[in-house]
Amino acid sequence: MSASKVLIGCWLALAVLSTATVLLGNAGSTLLLAGAVLAVALIKAWVITEGFMELRHAPVMWRLLLFGWPLAMACGILFAMMV
Amino acid sequence: MSISVDRTSLSRRLPGDLAMWFFILAELTVFAILILAFAVTQVLNPELFSQSRAALDSSMGLALTLSLLTSGLFAALAVEQVRAARPGRGALLLVAALATSCVYVVLKLNEYGHLSSMGLGLEHNTFFTLYWILTGFHFLHVLLGMVILGWMAMRCQRGLYTAADCAGLESGVLYWHMVDMVWVLLFPLVYVIN
Repeated sequence: MSASKVLIGCWLALAVLSTATVLLGNAGSTLLLAGAVLAVALIKAWVITEGFMELRHAPVMWRLLLFGWPLAMACGILFAMMV
Repeated sequence: MSISVDRTSLSRRLPGDLAMWFFILAELTVFAILILAFAVTQVLNPELFSQSRAALDSSMGLALTLSLLTSGLFAALAVEQVRAARPGRGALLLVAALATSCVYVVLKLNEYGHLSSMGLGLEHNTFFTLYWILTGFHFLHVLLGMVILGWMAMRCQRGLYTAADCAGLESGVLYWHMVDMVWVLLFPLVYVIN
């Protein structure tokens, strides 16, 4: 698959996931739904780092570093809600 | 920027300049402090945050998200065109990225104006203090990113980026994707999660 098609695929996935975020948010306000919304955000961040930022071709350390940020944010937000 | 990133192997390559990656990590650290401050304060004031969030429109948040993501797509496609020795198309795509980011700016200013007219300013309550600081700080990054996109579009049109030498373009576009990624976390935190 060409790089341009990969990028367009990433954008389509991000658009669908963004819509899913709003739908999940409107479905209620439980901890489970909040976790689902954060999981979707995490997938979106992964699509951006691996697809748009092309980290899928980069050394593993940089991939972990950049994905570590949204992971830490999602865990931090969820942890704060559970305490 | 002249610091090129060495390939660790033929199949592993970090795009852009190494300096830009360190800059991105520094920016993400600052945003992390603000995001976690918002999350912790929300736990301390759940009722206030829930009531205040009702003044925000999640569909507006979705429109803001889509405009930024579309702009990110155009910027990423521009890099691909330059790599394929088509700088003219690359410049056009950068202009498209800039135009799409203008949609974000117009929508965001519209939201800011709406909230201000309702008296929901920086000092209204804790939620709106954090809302204005967090989204305002991100908004400033969007504006800086737009300046970078415009600058790169001009350089691209002049043929100053080539397939063999486009690390500067890659770095600028990486910054723009960083702005996207931060918004991807801000959007659910500020507009969606109750």
